[in-house]
Amino acid sequence: MNSYLGQIKAILWKDFLTEYKTRELFSSMFVFAVLVILIFIFSVDLSLVNSNEVGPGVLWVAVIFAGTLGLNRSFTLEKEDSGLQGLLLAPIDRSAIYFGKMLSNLVFFLIMEAFILPVFMVFFNIDLLANLGPLLFVLLIGTLGFSILGTLLSSLSSNLKTREIMLPLLLYPLMVPIAIGAVRLTSHVLGGGELGDMMNWVGMILCFDVIFLAVSIMTIDHILEE
Amino acid sequence: MSSAEETDEQEIAEKSDEGPGLLLWLTAAGGIGMLAAVFIFVPTERTEGIVQRIMYFHVPCAWVAFFAFFIVFICSILFLWRREREWDIYAHASAEVGMLFCSLVLITGPIWAKPIWGIWWTWDPRLTLTLVLWLIYAAYLMLRLQTGEGSTRAKYSAIIGIVGALDIPLIHFSVLWWGSQHPSPKIITSEGIGTGIDNSMGITLLVSLGAFTLIYFLLVSLRVNIEKMKDEIDRLKKQRLYSH
Repeated sequence: MNSYLGQIKAILWKDFLTEYKTRELFSSMFVFAVLVILIFIFSVDLSLVNSNEVGPGVLWVAVIFAGTLGLNRSFTLEKEDSGLQGLLLAPIDRSAIYFGKMLSNLVFFLIMEAFILPVFMVFFNIDLLANLGPLLFVLLIGTLGFSILGTLLSSLSSNLKTREIMLPLLLYPLMVPIAIGAVRLTSHVLGGGELGDMMNWVGMILCFDVIFLAVSIMTIDHILEE
Repeated sequence: MSSAEETDEQEIAEKSDEGPGLLLWLTAAGGIGMLAAVFIFVPTERTEGIVQRIMYFHVPCAWVAFFAFFIVFICSILFLWRREREWDIYAHASAEVGMLFCSLVLITGPIWAKPIWGIWWTWDPRLTLTLVLWLIYAAYLMLRLQTGEGSTRAKYSAIIGIVGALDIPLIHFSVLWWGSQHPSPKIITSEGIGTGIDNSMGITLLVSLGAFTLIYFLLVSLRVNIEKMKDEIDRLKKQRLYSH
């Protein structure tokens, strides 16, 4: 068990180091997310609509769109110079590769969110600090579901000819429960509501996380084999 | 060609004629019975008028679409478990037929909704669910097109078949809590089965459900035969390539 955690940590560390040296993924994700928010602000008149109602949707669209860039990069990077082959040759369990990649995606997304939130707060004039605790919890469980399913599908689509096109086509319809649930929860939380009032949504997102984590562990062997 | 091979081929031809033959006649009988029930037997509904008869097409299409996607789920699991080409063919055929009926649901729905609700489309849970399902299985079929022949394609599509089916209950609840205009269940109500609608309508609906299910099986068996024929042609081509 200890060595299994060590394997996951090694893959996680490798991804951080690559990102630290190249700095190409994080900057592009962040700038893209800001662009998405900006385009949405242009497309809706904020003086007419309640920013508390539109804001959470825009935030999650920005996270999901920018996250897709990261997911696309996550396994194509491994494909270059046969990095994935090296990982597969290493004497480790395939699910450890999945967990390592999933956790590194999750952490990248969370860091990206930490940078987007202040931008979001300023642009939409929403005070996030008042309800920061529940908001961070909602962001965590939503982003976790996104990276669980996203990593599975990104490992799958990286082997296709048209990977950049197929990943969102496969991922977005499957992400519907998270998209609706996370937006609802975020707008509820930002309105000062208690998380306890919407436990059905929290439960559903947690169900999503658990179900697809189990499916990923069971099916990753079929994807990561050469 | 030797005579033994000829008889073999004849036998294969006879067998494939026999299989869909019976199903074809049953489906034809079911289709005629259904049309008779829908257009002659059942009386016109009082409030909605003639347009209500589209229900006998709309509801069975929805049933067949959901049934087909369920079969995709089962066959995908069986494929990953047993690794037999057979299950991949069934999943593929069922997904294509399910896609056809899912499209028909999305087309007949607005035709029915416009005169009754006054709008083509509303974000009702069942409409949203059907649309999302259509998108999931469109992506599934696209994935099949993108990947070359072989076990990779079968494995990848099996995974999407499983993930997609497991997502259905979650999508159902999320769109349900999201906001319903659809009539509440009429056939299986809390008072028992078949109390919500008139007997003649119930019978007609059951007949059309049966007929559409037969059409589903007929189309799937035809699609499976085409796929198996493709495999056979590939095999013969290879055989010929190496026989000289």
